[in-house]
Amino acid sequence: MARIAVCWGMLVLLLAAELAAARLGSGIGVGVLAVLMVLVIVLGFMQILRAPPLAIIFALGGLFWLTILLALGSLDSFTRTTVPVHAAALPGPTAE
Amino acid sequence: MSDGSALDHHSPYETPLHRDETAVAGMWLFLASEALLFGGLFLVCLIYSHTRAGGWAEGVRHTNLSIGAANTLILITSSAVYTMAVEAGKRGDNRRVVRAGLGAAVLGLTFLALKGVEWGQEFRENLFPGPHFALHGPDTGGAQLFYSFYFLATFLHGMHMVVGIGLILWICRKARHRAFSAAWNTPVDIVGLYWSFVDLVWMLLFPLLYLIGRA
Amino acid sequence: MSGTLDPSAPQRSYLWQDGTLRSWLLTRDHKRIALLYLGSITAFFALGSVGAALVRLQLLEPTGTILSDATYNRMFTMHGVVMVWLFLVPSIPVTLGNFLVPLMLGARDLAFPRLNLLSWYLFVASGLLVVYGLFRGGLETGWTFYTPLSSEYTEGRVLPVVLGVFLNGFSSIATGVNFIVSIHQLRAPGMGWYRLPLMLWALYATSVIFVLATPVLGITLLLLAFEHLFRVGVFDPSLGGDPLLFQQLFWFYSHPAVYIMILPGMGVVSEIVSTFCHKPVFGYRFVAWSSVSIAAIGFVVWGHHMFVAGTSLYSAIVFSMFSFFVSVPSAIKVFNWLGTMHGGSIRLDAPMLYAMGFIGLFTVGGLTGLFLASLAADVHLTQTYFVVAHFHYIMVGGMVSAYFGGLHYWWPKITGRMYPETWGRLAAGLIFFGFNLTFLPQFILGFEGMPRRYATYPAQFQVLNVLSSAGAGILAVAYALPLVYFTWSLFRGARAPDNPWRATGLEWRTASPPPVENFAETPVVTTYAYDYAELDGRAGPPGTAVGGPHV
Repeated sequence: MARIAVCWGMLVLLLAAELAAARLGSGIGVGVLAVLMVLVIVLGFMQILRAPPLAIIFALGGLFWLTILLALGSLDSFTRTTVPVHAAALPGPTAE
Repeated sequence: MSDGSALDHHSPYETPLHRDETAVAGMWLFLASEALLFGGLFLVCLIYSHTRAGGWAEGVRHTNLSIGAANTLILITSSAVYTMAVEAGKRGDNRRVVRAGLGAAVLGLTFLALKGVEWGQEFRENLFPGPHFALHGPDTGGAQLFYSFYFLATFLHGMHMVVGIGLILWICRKARHRAFSAAWNTPVDIVGLYWSFVDLVWMLLFPLLYLIGRA
Repeated sequence: MSGTLDPSAPQRSYLWQDGTLRSWLLTRDHKRIALLYLGSITAFFALGSVGAALVRLQLLEPTGTILSDATYNRMFTMHGVVMVWLFLVPSIPVTLGNFLVPLMLGARDLAFPRLNLLSWYLFVASGLLVVYGLFRGGLETGWTFYTPLSSEYTEGRVLPVVLGVFLNGFSSIATGVNFIVSIHQLRAPGMGWYRLPLMLWALYATSVIFVLATPVLGITLLLLAFEHLFRVGVFDPSLGGDPLLFQQLFWFYSHPAVYIMILPGMGVVSEIVSTFCHKPVFGYRFVAWSSVSIAAIGFVVWGHHMFVAGTSLYSAIVFSMFSFFVSVPSAIKVFNWLGTMHGGSIRLDAPMLYAMGFIGLFTVGGLTGLFLASLAADVHLTQTYFVVAHFHYIMVGGMVSAYFGGLHYWWPKITGRMYPETWGRLAAGLIFFGFNLTFLPQFILGFEGMPRRYATYPAQFQVLNVLSSAGAGILAVAYALPLVYFTWSLFRGARAPDNPWRATGLEWRTASPPPVENFAETPVVTTYAYDYAELDGRAGPPGTAVGGPHV
């Protein structure tokens, strides 16, 4: 019971901090706080550390593949030079 | 339907503990799969919020922060309340499983109701992307992409909520028939994992849809 | 009926335990579910073949023979969608895999039997949706559904097909979860990871792809359906959206899915090669880990499908490099199979013929893959018949050969009957010949510049196209043969002994066909996977087994 109450309190505080960070315009701050909230849920509510070891392996595996998807999936867009993806209007080939 | 802690003779397991641990591990594996399902959405968000930063931020500014924050609080609470059901299940306390389960389900329904109100507002304000889209800023395209993401992400999350609430009600029904005991309560546990995961996804969607780029 | 039949404890085979239709449709027995799947994917294989036949008929003449351009587009789409999702992706895992995973583990069933049945129903539902879409309106996008063609310009039935493939994904995920958890949790006493048959390593690696790649296909198709249904922008370039993002997401699934369509075949071939050479697999641990590394590296090579699509050079270089890496574990497998065959007493029964066909055809398919992984060569070869020939060498020459090889190999175990060996060898030879006649000319066509997916072509390509179509005709006959003699053998085939091939592996230690509970008593594993010396000691006169385990 106490564990649940503590986790709930932490989540509420983190939510408040997140709203404050958003008001200050700190995107990174919001991101860090969101990750902390996820950690509280995974450790506090889902109790991954008390689950069978396989569960931890599966969770880390999922996280690893998620990283691959996000990292390699965005690689092209973030490094593309032939076709401008930033332009506000219709994308067209840049004049060399 | 094999309930109770006994193993029937076709069961592939040696002991009840073996079976229950396998079920929990299986649920985690399924959740890893679910994470990749939402991962595709996150990639869309990551790329467009970067390449169409202006329009994207304009979209973020038009979401309803008060409903979003209230819903976040509701979901945190719902997840906490259901975790109490999991604890009660471990003690074999079926009455508390029912009470906590119903509490979590009601909170979940409240979330969906508020989400419905929010969607209704957005439809009235023509924020659904299309030819009549309301935001005419310099990057209306980016704002439309944001709202495509917004509606699909909240829809997908909402569908997970519906499934989760259904599962919780199923647990409540079983608990009313005193199905769980200190020796056997794996379904309560597994539904808890799913419900917390749905909560977890919202903890990531909330900042992406409402906060980052707002100020 | 079988050698181990103990009169005091009459065991009944899973096939005839209870013959009612209801008992089949509600079964939770992995062996029966495997047969339900076998029936369904055979039907879809036939349907996909019809698409291929029509395509090859059309290409007999440069201006086309029978189909309008629009119908041609629909036919190659049908061929692709049905063959990929309703036949190749499920093929070995859901039939042989479902049947064998518990037997090879020494378990009574998979970890989640009800989930297993659910996966079959999802599969059937998805198949019906896809077929409905393809026949009531059709679809012309090709199996890749590229936007904006599929979202804005298509005149076909995108929604039912896309939703069907979406459902199909959940069927795959269910199977993958079941296999992974079963292999972790249900190994018989004494069955350590390095005592697993290599088939299980391959299926484990496949399942990782099922579980972690398929959901991304799900969300991709959902985004596509959302864009198409509501006419909103997701990948729409006129809003500044990025159509290439669709391709990124699609290939994040579909390239690993290519390994779904070959890894199980590699597992089957490892089993067959070892058995018919009566030798342990050379370099067991290398073969085992190469499966895992193919699955892992296979996730980071998808960008090679988009070299000419306008992706950045950095991304192209990274993906090209990884694509070269993935050929290393594939080569390890090929060399280790050859190492296993070296000095073995090779028996050329039908399964072995298929396995040898696999090794040769897969090698050709794999090596031509390196051409396509090279940035400069790919610019010339992409979107030509070279690509078509390349992936058919892997998927048809490789996977379908392995599938047929596996069916022949385990047919006695599945049905309790032997197939006619002469016919089996004839069909294997015919498939190998017909396959090469069909697809070897396509390499040349592609190299000379004939683009894929066109209903017509310049007249100078006609000779090679006619050869290719002739090969397709031979293939059609060759694929029909097993259907006939397998059905015949069900009723007239000789009774199969428990271990007709003198193979190791727990599945051969139980009756043919196995009883409902698989094993009369849970087997205990005391040796590594391919211990022929132990087997020969158990089974009578010492055979020709040579060598101990390799690393």
